[in-house]
Amino acid sequence: MDKLQKSKDKIPAPVGESITRVDAREKVTGSAIFTDDIQFGPGLLFARIKRSPYPHAKILKIDASKALALPGVKCVVTGKDFPGYTGLYLQDRQIFATEKTRFVGEPVVGIAATSEELAEKALDLIEVEYEPMAAVHDPEYGMSKEAPLIHPDLGKYTVANYIFPKAGTNISNHFKIRKGDVDGAWKNCAVVVEHRYQIPHVQHVPIETHIVIARAEDTGKVTLWSTSQSPFAQRNLIAKALGISHKDIEVIAPYVGGGFGCKAGASMESLVVAIAMKVRGRPVKLRLTREEEFYTAFVRQGLVAYFKMGCDKDGMLLAMENKFYWDSGAYTEYAVNMTRASGYSSSGPYDVPNVKTDSYCVYTNHPVTGPMRGFGMPEMHSGLEQCIDELAITMKMDPVEFRKLNCVQGGDIIVTGMVMHPTGLTECIEKAAKAIDWGKKEKPSAPHKLRGKGIACMWKAPAMSPNAGSSAWVELNEDATLTVGIGGQEIGQGTHTVMSQLAAAALGVPVEHVRIAKPIDTDVSPYEWQTVASRLTWSMGNAVVNAARDARQQILEIVAKAWKEDPEDLDIVNGNVISYKSEESIPLHDIVIYGMPKENYNGWIGGPIVGRGSFMPTYVTGLDAETGQGERAVVHYTTGCQAVEVEVDTLTGRVEILKAVGAFDVGKAINPELVKAQMEGGFGMGLSTAFFEGLKLKDGVLQNPSFVDYRIATTVDMPAKIESIIVEVPQDDGPWGARGVGEHSMVPTIPAIANAIFDATGVRVGSPPYLPEKVYLALVDAGVVK
Amino acid sequence: MSTHKINVKINGGLEQVEVPSNMTLLSMLREKLAMTGTKNGCAAGECGACTILLNGEPVNSCMVLAVEADGAELVTVEGLAHEGELEVIQKTIIDKGGVQCGFCTPGVLISAKALLTRNPNPSEADIREALVGNLCRCTGYVRIVEAVQAAAEQQKGAA
Amino acid sequence: MNNAHPGLPEFDYIKPATLPEASQFLAQHTGESRPFMGGTDTIVRMRDGFWKDKYLVEVKHFEGMTSIHFDPAKGLTIGAAAPMNQVAAHPDVRKYYPLLAEAANSVASYQLRNRATIVGNICNASPAGDTTGASIVLDGVLSVHGVNGVRTEPLKNFFLGPGKTVLKPGDIVTSISYPLPADGWAGKYIKLGRNALSDLSIVGVTVLGYPDATAKSGFRFRIALASVAPVPFIPTAAEAVLAEKPISDAVIDEAATAAMDACTPIDDVRSSARYRKLMVRNLTRKALAEVWAKIK
Repeated sequence: MDKLQKSKDKIPAPVGESITRVDAREKVTGSAIFTDDIQFGPGLLFARIKRSPYPHAKILKIDASKALALPGVKCVVTGKDFPGYTGLYLQDRQIFATEKTRFVGEPVVGIAATSEELAEKALDLIEVEYEPMAAVHDPEYGMSKEAPLIHPDLGKYTVANYIFPKAGTNISNHFKIRKGDVDGAWKNCAVVVEHRYQIPHVQHVPIETHIVIARAEDTGKVTLWSTSQSPFAQRNLIAKALGISHKDIEVIAPYVGGGFGCKAGASMESLVVAIAMKVRGRPVKLRLTREEEFYTAFVRQGLVAYFKMGCDKDGMLLAMENKFYWDSGAYTEYAVNMTRASGYSSSGPYDVPNVKTDSYCVYTNHPVTGPMRGFGMPEMHSGLEQCIDELAITMKMDPVEFRKLNCVQGGDIIVTGMVMHPTGLTECIEKAAKAIDWGKKEKPSAPHKLRGKGIACMWKAPAMSPNAGSSAWVELNEDATLTVGIGGQEIGQGTHTVMSQLAAAALGVPVEHVRIAKPIDTDVSPYEWQTVASRLTWSMGNAVVNAARDARQQILEIVAKAWKEDPEDLDIVNGNVISYKSEESIPLHDIVIYGMPKENYNGWIGGPIVGRGSFMPTYVTGLDAETGQGERAVVHYTTGCQAVEVEVDTLTGRVEILKAVGAFDVGKAINPELVKAQMEGGFGMGLSTAFFEGLKLKDGVLQNPSFVDYRIATTVDMPAKIESIIVEVPQDDGPWGARGVGEHSMVPTIPAIANAIFDATGVRVGSPPYLPEKVYLALVDAGVVK
Repeated sequence: MSTHKINVKINGGLEQVEVPSNMTLLSMLREKLAMTGTKNGCAAGECGACTILLNGEPVNSCMVLAVEADGAELVTVEGLAHEGELEVIQKTIIDKGGVQCGFCTPGVLISAKALLTRNPNPSEADIREALVGNLCRCTGYVRIVEAVQAAAEQQKGAA
Repeated sequence: MNNAHPGLPEFDYIKPATLPEASQFLAQHTGESRPFMGGTDTIVRMRDGFWKDKYLVEVKHFEGMTSIHFDPAKGLTIGAAAPMNQVAAHPDVRKYYPLLAEAANSVASYQLRNRATIVGNICNASPAGDTTGASIVLDGVLSVHGVNGVRTEPLKNFFLGPGKTVLKPGDIVTSISYPLPADGWAGKYIKLGRNALSDLSIVGVTVLGYPDATAKSGFRFRIALASVAPVPFIPTAAEAVLAEKPISDAVIDEAATAAMDACTPIDDVRSSARYRKLMVRNLTRKALAEVWAKIK
């Protein structure tokens, strides 16, 4: 009994072990299949899309007759063919524009031909007549009475009951927090800080662009091969938009070459399904060029944010007043939830008794915005954490001490009225500060350089619908290896590896015996809401563990029956069923398919083992529409902190990161090296957005739609080392306490860098990106350099 | 538009291919020969996902016309391992955790291999500079650089 | 709206047997053909839809096009199609023309430098060209094969505007030659991009200095600036200051300021005129100081 109890309390291998990625060998040999690698044979057709060149225009006439006359052109599709509306949280979007177009690049006509080249040539033969209209290019203007209405029918759109569009305006959601009494709190504040930030649109820049193939049969079956983070959501959205039954549309999703949110939901996939349905019987492929990737799929929201915050004479935060004007682009079916998610976390990771937030999702004639790593938190923290820094310094308090004094702890009533669960944020701050040698001022490496350190902390909850679920199955083979069925995607974060570890640990088998069923195929894979929100380890992990435990229980009951023992005395260890009582042991092979014989072979016990599991949080509550208060706004928060040491070159304004540290509370690191890889990679993306990134839109036209002028971080822009610290305060309902971290490591990077630049130069650089030019001119304007 | 019959050695094997004038080397590999290990990330010579060795030197295959490869020797990611045995840089990039989504990986491996061939003892700065034309969005590059350093160490040891 | 296509438009790749054939073909197909060298500009522009040539004329295979040859009596000759990596790694270039190697090594990425060429960089006539400045201050001379035979083109007055040079239909540049630099010379190229390396230049400063008894100061400086004017910009007023006044920190300052005042950068998607001017001043000052420290 002792042994059994000990074995139940121990964390089973390989949980907590940094095993090698199970998909690594495929990827380094070039044999890993991505969507564009799938071979379709000579029947494959290619699609190209005719796009609107105007930010806002009426479509007067479409004439595709000359294109259709070209030999090899198979069909042409317009909005008239598929006028249905679609959208994840708000159905505001048609597959092709019908009466008007709302952003430069909006699909107007789709064409399929026998080669990509021919389809591209044929686009020039399609004549579209537009009548340009006045357009909206910033969200504050978009909210004003003067702005033209981008969605006059907003009031008629189907919408989730926790999203509040304002009919007759360009506001597709308005989320409010009214906690405590902000107006009355200012007079008690010793210091109040107020700032405006303008965070530009950025794009996810996955190295693999969006690629989709669709085939529609005369039987009514539709098959979609898609580089997707959300095969089930795509099935759902497309089925609803096109009036197909879920059983008749199959989405197959192989490895994804980077997603970061842009391959979530549905963006260009419906275009290809529509074209395939017109063509019938032949697969049709659409590949976005890199240029199209920059502005026609998803981009991240732009933000105009006003922060006002104050603390008392002891440095305790008293009040925060936030106004977020989200530049959400032409369609906001996904962005409306980000508006909400940023609102319900708008205090930042702090205990603030009085909070007033208005978070507005505003239509503009900019590219369509969707989910991007952090889902509003990087944009928000960019300004909020600089204001916190300024409060601390104005109060003559150490920015680390100020944060420790105010940071959220377990038991606090947070911004939505929810009680905060245990969290290791203080530990993250302390460890990050220690690792960066906080408080020690180093000498610059050259006379023309200035050196400084900055810190910023963060929090984020998985932003999902309240009832987003995961499911999994575990199936054993004759040789006792097993196949694990999941619906979540491997997008680089290590899904297949971690799920293998969880299944092996929960079942009691070596991890080498585990295979993940792939590619994800909605016809045969179990349901997963989406691979977003840093939710897979926690949510799908729970489902996998449940499925493995279900299989384990079935096996134990069969063996117990055969051995005439109590299943409670049995265990599975390293692929063998063992009894702690009789010390009997039997390997899993064969019995997991053929069962076990009764005495003298007088019959059989058991049969093929298939375990199933699912997980869906049942405790998320709604929030009051006026106050944003509710018992449980979110499932949980992951908190963390980053600190950097920088040097600023006063000749050019270039900022170099000398040292970077990140500390995040992940609950339990199932695979510590993979967790650290996410911390590093997120920092890298955060650094890239801090130093270089921004879509330059002029009258709605993107001026930098390629790598030439949309710069991202390269090898030489990164520091030599990023120290990653794992903090583990377990999550009550995560597998062995685990929660996610994929997004969180890019959230505090911009303000950590901005705060470090201030420490080095005495100048606040404000809104990113902090290009050398921006920093240099800020130094000139402040009189620090000439 | 004219087409050209070319003879090219790819990963040690001779191929004869007919290519139109306007086909890039990348398209030839992926579309004509179904060698999909080499990836298309931008088609403009910026991201490096399409990097292959052309007569021993790394080039962006999206920026070379297929017809120019007549008589040339190419090495792609598929040609790095020998009879199932991974090359050192493939092993170290796995060991160091320098692979996440894997899309930039083929190009990174080719650039790294070329660096180690011309400079078996690269400094960290040499490695970063040699790989500046291979964009990665997942890793933050740190582990990729460590992988190249480890490969250089191991190859020195083996020599 | 950006017009980049997934692939290249249709064209014919022509590989003439001789240079005269090539020049003839190019002249006969003016406006719809061009010589095909490294392709790093050509392929990009054709995919973007800016260049619509029906013929790309291969020239890399002609004799001498890829050779790099240093003659201790005459100087350096680089074949027009010699890739930048080969130029930068060549022992004679590194020893006798390190400024050229430095400029070449600043371009893009290692992969692109296996295709990009110095002559191609010059003929593309982008004001941002990295090797143009070094070629100008090293007094590079182009050897051109045209329909009327062979001639030379010095780089002074070669550039007419962004993308425009004095080259005529049928012209094929076959090499660039650099005379021996003056004794005791030193040079420096400082390139400022958005990333720490590999970007196009926001500002590029090339400085070359050498002892010169004919100059009042005893020294002659050549300066060429990239990305601050429609063509590579020579701040002659700054050069004059350095020729006249004995070199000191203050004089270097004065020259750098003169360079800043003279250049005419614009606001564009990469940077602003204000920042570019200030960087001309700061980086010219820095380059001059470094060169001065070596030649004084």
